[in-house]
Amino acid sequence: MSFKREVPTTVMSGFALSGVLVLTILNILLQNIPTKIQTAGDELLKLNSSEGVANAVTSVVVYFRGFDTLGEIAVLFIASLGIGLMLESNSKCDIKAEGNFMLQTASKLLFPIIMLFGIYVMIYGHLSPGGGFQGGVIIASGILLLLISHKNFEVPHSVIIWLETLAGVSYVLIGLIGLVVLDKFLGNFLPNDISNMGLLLSGGIIPIIYIIVGIKVGSEMSMIVQNLIKRDGDV
Amino acid sequence: MTGILILVTFVGLVVIAFASIIQKKLADSIILFMGVGLGSVILFFTFKAPDVALTEAVIGAGISSLIFLMALKHLGERA
Repeated sequence: MSFKREVPTTVMSGFALSGVLVLTILNILLQNIPTKIQTAGDELLKLNSSEGVANAVTSVVVYFRGFDTLGEIAVLFIASLGIGLMLESNSKCDIKAEGNFMLQTASKLLFPIIMLFGIYVMIYGHLSPGGGFQGGVIIASGILLLLISHKNFEVPHSVIIWLETLAGVSYVLIGLIGLVVLDKFLGNFLPNDISNMGLLLSGGIIPIIYIIVGIKVGSEMSMIVQNLIKRDGDV
Repeated sequence: MTGILILVTFVGLVVIAFASIIQKKLADSIILFMGVGLGSVILFFTFKAPDVALTEAVIGAGISSLIFLMALKHLGERA
């Protein structure tokens, strides 16, 4: 083929826009080179007890670095969106081979346990290892088990869209309430007394935010898995 | 005892990772990649990082390998 093929203007403008963005980010990064190596971890761990959360990692991930977690969720959303756009198909979910008898029976037995474990990891994220990300992915793997074992199983699109939207909006809303009440985005405005450390209801907004993160990650990963399985029929 | 466990796991991890990249069939590579994930779970846990171990077990060894397998199925004969 010829090398002088016409490049669409949208592609050209997309390249130009990304180039400008990359240059801007490089410029910002070059202007703010840190002069000395920062040891943020120790400082944050010293502050940990002020939030009344037993798991130090959770208080760092959700509270001190809560804005980063919001960004990570946005990245996951964009990945899910990209897979949905690339693999979008009009055909219904038709996997040719249905799971055999053993897989079906075992999936009926295992699915509630996997879901329970995922929800446990999600809710106890501020007390024990784990949290929203891990719990959400465990729930998505339970849905994957149902998808490969049952022929007609499909999570309704509208349910996933609503769950994801509500979780994302409520994360930002909680952050904005913190901004109004405490002058700090994602400020911990609920009671987080240190004497309650180790109880289920402790840590103020931190467990609430981790549950929200879990719902969002779970729905996004389920969407990715379902989109990948869906196309099996027409390949 | 813990030192021996860490050493054995680490050597095994390197061997499995090397075996994973020299496989002829992509499916074998993915299965060995899951093994690498499991080995790192043991390492993370012995280094007292249970949060990272749980994340690695769920994402590294679990769902990412399954996504790789599904992508391999999409490739079909072309792989």
